[in-house]
Amino acid sequence: MFKQSEKAKKDLNKKVENDSTKKPIEVSSTAVVGSNLSRDTLTSSKSENTIIGEKISIEGNIRSEENLTIEGFMKGNVKIEKHSFGVGSKGRFEGEIRANNVLISGLLHGKVNATGKVEITKNADFYGAIKADSIAIEEGAFFKGEIELGRDPHKKDDSVGKQMKETGHREKQVSSLPSVEAVKEN
Amino acid sequence: MDAIIDIPPINSHLESETIAYTSKILQQLANRLEKQRRALVLDVGTVCNENINFFAQRAKKLFVCDIFAHMNRYQNSGLKTKSVWRHLDYAPNSFDVINLWNLVEHLNDNDAKRLTEICSKIVKKKGLLFVIENDVSAQAVSSFVIGEDFQISLRPQTHLDFPWYCRHNRAVISLFTSFSTVKIFQYRKGIREFLFQL
Repeated sequence: MFKQSEKAKKDLNKKVENDSTKKPIEVSSTAVVGSNLSRDTLTSSKSENTIIGEKISIEGNIRSEENLTIEGFMKGNVKIEKHSFGVGSKGRFEGEIRANNVLISGLLHGKVNATGKVEITKNADFYGAIKADSIAIEEGAFFKGEIELGRDPHKKDDSVGKQMKETGHREKQVSSLPSVEAVKEN
Repeated sequence: MDAIIDIPPINSHLESETIAYTSKILQQLANRLEKQRRALVLDVGTVCNENINFFAQRAKKLFVCDIFAHMNRYQNSGLKTKSVWRHLDYAPNSFDVINLWNLVEHLNDNDAKRLTEICSKIVKKKGLLFVIENDVSAQAVSSFVIGEDFQISLRPQTHLDFPWYCRHNRAVISLFTSFSTVKIFQYRKGIREFLFQL
C-alpha cells in the first residue's frame, strides 16, 4: 500500500500512549509525504500528508494543520478545517470530522462536515451524516446516511426552466396514461 | 381506477437497447422541491451519484438507505432478507418524498407489503411516494440514472441478483393501499412511473 517511516510510527505510537487524558493530539511533526490516496481530494492541498498506519489505533481527538489519512483505526474527532482528511481502504473511523475535503475508501461511522468536497469510493462503508459543498459517491459503496449540500443562492439551475419550455415537445415522446387525479401543489 | 390501462407485453428485443426516457413525474417533483426548499427526501434505491446530487441539491436533506446493498449482504451471508427492513428505522412522519425505484418488482408480495407499511409510517401526511417499475431489463437490477433535462437511463447492476415479480398496474396499486394514486405514466420502453400520496 504505502511505506511509512519507522520514525513516524514510533512518534505516533508515543502520542497514542500519551493520550490517556484524551486531549487533542497535535499531529504536525510526523508527516509522511505521499499516500496511496492520490485523488484530487487529498492532493488539492499542498501540505504534507500524515498517515495513521494500518497497525495503529487511536482513541481521542486530533487537530492537524496538514492532510491526514487513517489507514488504521481511529475513534474520536478530527479537526483539520483547512486541509483534507482520508480514510484509506483498510482504515476505520468512528467519530466526527471537520475538514476541507474528505475522501472515504474504508469504513466510516459518524459525521462529516466538509467545507469542500466529500468523495466516497466503491469499497467504502458509510453510516452517518454528511454536510458538504459537493459530494461524489461511487456505485458499489455501502451507504446509509443523510446528505446536506451547501446551496449557493446565486447559482442558477437551468435544467428545470429549460425543461418546462420543452414540455410540449417531451410529451410527444411518452405515452402517458390518464392520471387518477391531478398533482396537488402546496 | 377505470382509467388505468394494463401494461402491454414486455418487448424483449428492447433489452439490448439503451433505455432512456424523460420522466414526467421527476420533472413535477423537481418543481415541487424547488418551491418547497425544505423537503426531506429518502432514496431507498441503489447508490447512484447522479441521483444523489440531483436530490441533495433540491432537498433540504437527502437520506439514502441502499436497501439493495443490504439485501445483497444478507443474501450472501445466508441470512433471511426479510430482516433487511429494520434498516429503514426512521422516525414516523419524517419524509416529504420517498423514492422506490426499481425495487418493488424485485420483492415478493410479503416484502413489498412490508415495505409499503414502513413507507406509510415514515412518510409525512400528504407526503409522496415515487415508484418506478422496470419491465424491460427485468432479469437484472438496474439503477435509474438521472441525466440532463430529466432524462432517466438504466444502468445495470450486474453484481445484484434478485428475482423479478411481474405485476400489472392494479397489482402494484393494491400494494399501496394506504396511499392514493396521484399519477401513473407508462412509457413505450417498458417503464412505469407511479406517484402515490399518503
